[in-house]
Amino acid sequence: MTPLRLSLAVLIALLLSGCGERVASPSAQAGAAQQKVLRFTFMAAEAGFDPVRVSDYYSGVVIAAIFDPLLTYDYLARPAKIVPNTAVALPEISDGGKTYTLRIKPGIRFSDDPAFKGKPRELTAADYAYAIKRFLDPKNRAQYAFLFEGKIVGLDKLAADAKKSGRFDYDAPVAGLETPDRYTLRIRLNEVDYNFSHVLAFFMVGAVAREAIEAYGNDTNAHPVGSGPYVLKQYVRSSKMVLEKNPNFREMLWNAEVGDDPENRKIAVRMQGKKLPLIERVEISVMDEAQSRWLAFQRRETDLEYQLWELTPKFMSDDGQLKPEFIQQGIRMDRSVDPEIIYLILNTQDKIGNEPNPFGGFTPEKIALRRAIAMAYNVEDQIKVIRKGQAVRAQFPIPPGVAGHEPGYRIGIPYDVRLANALLDKFGYVRGADGYRRQPDGKYLILKYFSQPTERDRQFDELMKRSLDKIGLRLEIQKERFAELNKLADQCRLTMRHSAWIADYPDGDNFMQLLYGPNSGQTNSACYRSAEFDKRYEASRRLPHGAERNHLYREMARQVEADTAWLLTDSRYRNVLVQPYVVGFKKHPVYAHEFLYMDMDPRESKEARP
Amino acid sequence: MTAFIIRRLLQFIPTLLGVVLLVFILFNWIGGDPAYLLAGKISNPEQIANIRKQIGVDQPYTVQLWIFITQIATGDFGVSWATNEKVSTIFATRLIPSLTVLLPILIVGTLLAMGLALLVAYRRGSLTDRAIMIGCTVGQSVSILVYIIVFQYVFAYQLGWFPVQGWGQDFWINLLQFSALPVIVGVAVSLAPDTRLYRTFFLDEMHQDYVRTARAKGLSESRVMGVHVLRNAAIPIVTNVMIQLPALLAGAFLIERFFSIPGIGREVLLAVERSDFPLIKAVTVYVAMATLVINLLTDILYKAIDPRVQLK
Repeated sequence: MTPLRLSLAVLIALLLSGCGERVASPSAQAGAAQQKVLRFTFMAAEAGFDPVRVSDYYSGVVIAAIFDPLLTYDYLARPAKIVPNTAVALPEISDGGKTYTLRIKPGIRFSDDPAFKGKPRELTAADYAYAIKRFLDPKNRAQYAFLFEGKIVGLDKLAADAKKSGRFDYDAPVAGLETPDRYTLRIRLNEVDYNFSHVLAFFMVGAVAREAIEAYGNDTNAHPVGSGPYVLKQYVRSSKMVLEKNPNFREMLWNAEVGDDPENRKIAVRMQGKKLPLIERVEISVMDEAQSRWLAFQRRETDLEYQLWELTPKFMSDDGQLKPEFIQQGIRMDRSVDPEIIYLILNTQDKIGNEPNPFGGFTPEKIALRRAIAMAYNVEDQIKVIRKGQAVRAQFPIPPGVAGHEPGYRIGIPYDVRLANALLDKFGYVRGADGYRRQPDGKYLILKYFSQPTERDRQFDELMKRSLDKIGLRLEIQKERFAELNKLADQCRLTMRHSAWIADYPDGDNFMQLLYGPNSGQTNSACYRSAEFDKRYEASRRLPHGAERNHLYREMARQVEADTAWLLTDSRYRNVLVQPYVVGFKKHPVYAHEFLYMDMDPRESKEARP
Repeated sequence: MTAFIIRRLLQFIPTLLGVVLLVFILFNWIGGDPAYLLAGKISNPEQIANIRKQIGVDQPYTVQLWIFITQIATGDFGVSWATNEKVSTIFATRLIPSLTVLLPILIVGTLLAMGLALLVAYRRGSLTDRAIMIGCTVGQSVSILVYIIVFQYVFAYQLGWFPVQGWGQDFWINLLQFSALPVIVGVAVSLAPDTRLYRTFFLDEMHQDYVRTARAKGLSESRVMGVHVLRNAAIPIVTNVMIQLPALLAGAFLIERFFSIPGIGREVLLAVERSDFPLIKAVTVYVAMATLVINLLTDILYKAIDPRVQLK
C-alpha cells in the first residue's frame, strides 16, 4: 500500500469510526444515568445572564431560573396572577398607591460562589435595593431601565449625578429605596401606581449580591449568582447552557391555582405538594435551524420544543390538532396565544421630518385616508398566508392572558374594500389617469411603508401593495435594517410599519402605554397624540386592575380606532411539543422557566430516550 | 529570498490599511447606528447618547479610525458590544470548534479529490472517467443546503448513525462523533469541484515530455503518476489549497448553524445581526492578515516544491 493510500484509509477509518450503530449524544447518556435531565433548545443565541445587561428572551429564560424576584406569577392561573416569591406576602400598598412595603423570608441563601469566600450568604432587602439601583447605573446601559426611570423617589437624581461624575454611588441613600431592617424593603414612588407589583414580579428584577457583581466586573454576563432554584453549571456561549439544581435553594412546594380546568387538575394530581425543583439538570442547546430542532425532537434528543413555526404543517392538522401519528407516540402539544399584539402603525403627525405627512393630522380627510388604508388591509390574508394559520385576529390592544384584556371586544374597523373606496371618493381623493388617487388638493399621493430586507418582510410588502392597489393608493416601500428602523421610530419618522409588542409583564398598562402621547419617539411609534386618550391613560395609571380601569381601556381602544392610529392585526400561537415522559408542562404567558414546576417520569424517560 | 520576504512584508502595510479603511467606511455607512440596536425596546435620546458614549461611537470618525488602527497594532479589539465578552476570548473559544470541522474537511477533501482526479486522469475517456465527471458535474450543481438537509435527514435521523446536532466538551468526542457528519457533508460538497480541477492539472502534466521520457526509461506507471506527475501538478494544487486556508478563520457558518457547532462562522453571523462592530473588525482584519501571510507562504512553498521557481 502506498503512503497516499495508507493515509487515505486511516483518515476514512477515523472519520467513519462514529458510524455503524445508532449514536446517542453524551447528554442523552448523561440523561439516562441522572434520570431527571430536561433538554430543550433556543432558536437564537443568548446574550448573557446579568439581568441589567441583557433583554432578550433567551437570556431571560436562564436568568429566571437563577435569580429570585420578590414576587412571581402563579404557574396555572390565567390571566396571570401575582403571588409572593421571596417575599413573605404580597406588598403592603399604602400612601394611596405610592408606597410599597415588602418583607423578605429570612434564611434564603444565595448559591455558593467564590465571591462569598466560603461563607454562606443570606438574601436581604439590601440585595433588592442594590439590584434596582443597577438598572439606572449608566455604565450598565440597562435596556429595562424604563421600568424604574422616573418612578422611585430620588433614584433618577442619583442616575443624573452618575452621568456627570462617571460613577454611580451605590452607597448614597435613596429616599424611595429604604431598608429599615434586614428583611424589609420600602419603595416610595413619585406617582400613584397600583401596578408596580408587576415590575417587582418581573424575572429581570431578581436579587443580585453586590460582592458577586463586583467580583466579576465586566464579565457578570457569564457568572450569574442568584438565590433561585438553579445554578449555571456549564456555559458555552451561544451554544450550550447547563443548569443544575441549586443545593441552597429554599423549601418551595408545588402549589398552583388549579381552578376548573381539567388539564390543570391532571397536572395537580401528579404535582401537588412536591418539593421543587424536581428536575435536577436542564440542558439548553442553541439550534438556529428549525430542521435541526425538529429532527432532534423526533429522535428524542430534546424533550420540549417551543419554536417550530415554520414546520407547523408537519405535526399539526388544519384543525389545529396534533397529527395522529404523534399522538400515538404519546407526544403532546400545548397550544396558546402569545401575550403579544402585531399592529400596523399609521403615523398621525402632520409632518415627517420637514415633509408633510400625507395622512398625518386629525382633519376628517386625513382620518378618512388612514381609515381607508386600515379597511383595505387584508388581515385574514396575513394570518392565512404569512402566518400559515398560526395566529389569531387581534381585537383589543391588550392581548389574551394579560390583565385588562377584554374578551368580548370586537374591533370597529371592518375589512371592506368597497367601503374604503367610497370613503376616499367622498373625501376627494380622486383617481388620476394612471389609476392612482391624488390628494384632495390635486397633488400626487404617495404612501411610504417601512420594512426590513428579509424574506418574511417581503411578504408583508406584497400584501400591503396588493391591499392598497385595490383602493388606488400608490405605495413606496423603504427598506431599512433593524437598527435604522429603531432610529427612525425614535425620531417619529416612520409613516407606516408593522410592529410587534410582547408583554414584559402581564398588565394592560404595558400595552396601553404604546399609544400615550408623551411616549412618542419611544414606544409610541405612531407618535399618536390624543388629549382624550392621554387623559384616560393617566387616569388608568392611578387605578388598580379592575372594572373601572377596564372601562377606561375600552374607551381608549375606541378612541384609537376613531383616530385610526393603528390597525391591530394578529397575535401568534405558540405550539409547544412535549415528549410523553415530561410531566406538568403548561405554557405560562410571561415566564419561560416552566421547568421549575415540572417533573419527568424516570421510567418512561429511560425507555423512550435513544 | 530574504529580500523577497522583507519586500512582501512591507507590502502588507498599505494593503492592510486599505482593508481597514474599507471596513470602517462600510460599517459606518451601511451598518446603521448600533446604539439603537443596543438600546432595546424602549429608549430615549439620553439613553441613546449614553450608549453611544459607552461604546465610543460619539467620537469623531478620525478618532474612531485611530482607535481601530491601535487595536490592530496591539491585537486587543476590546469587548463585544452585545455580550461584553472579550473579542480575544471569542476567537480563542470559537476557533477550535471551527477548525475541528474545517481542517478534516480540507485534508480529507483534498486527499480524496487528488486520488480521484489522478485515477480519472489516468483513465481519461474511459467509462470510469465519464461516470465520475458526470457525477462531479451533478454534485457541483447541488447547493450545500441540500447536502446538509439530506445528509442530516438520512444519516442522522433515519439511519441514526450520527447525532442530528450537538457539541460537547471532549475534543475526541467532538471530532469523531459530532464532527463526523459535518465533515462528510463538507467533503461531499468540495469533492466534485476539486476533482474536476485537479484532473485538469494532472492531464496538463501527463502530456509533458518528461512523462514520456520516464515511461521510455521503463518506470512503473505508479511511479510515473504517483511521483513525477503528482509532484509537478502539486504547485496549482497547493495554490488551490492555500487560498482556502484564510476562509477557515471565518468558519463555515451554514454547517455550524445546522449542526449547532459553536464556531467562529456562527459568531460572525451573529455579530452582523447584532451590529457588533468589535468582532466584525477583528474577523475582517484577521482574515486579511491571514490571506497576506498565506500568500507569502504559498510563494515560498513553490520554491520548496520546484527549485526552478525564482522568487523576485
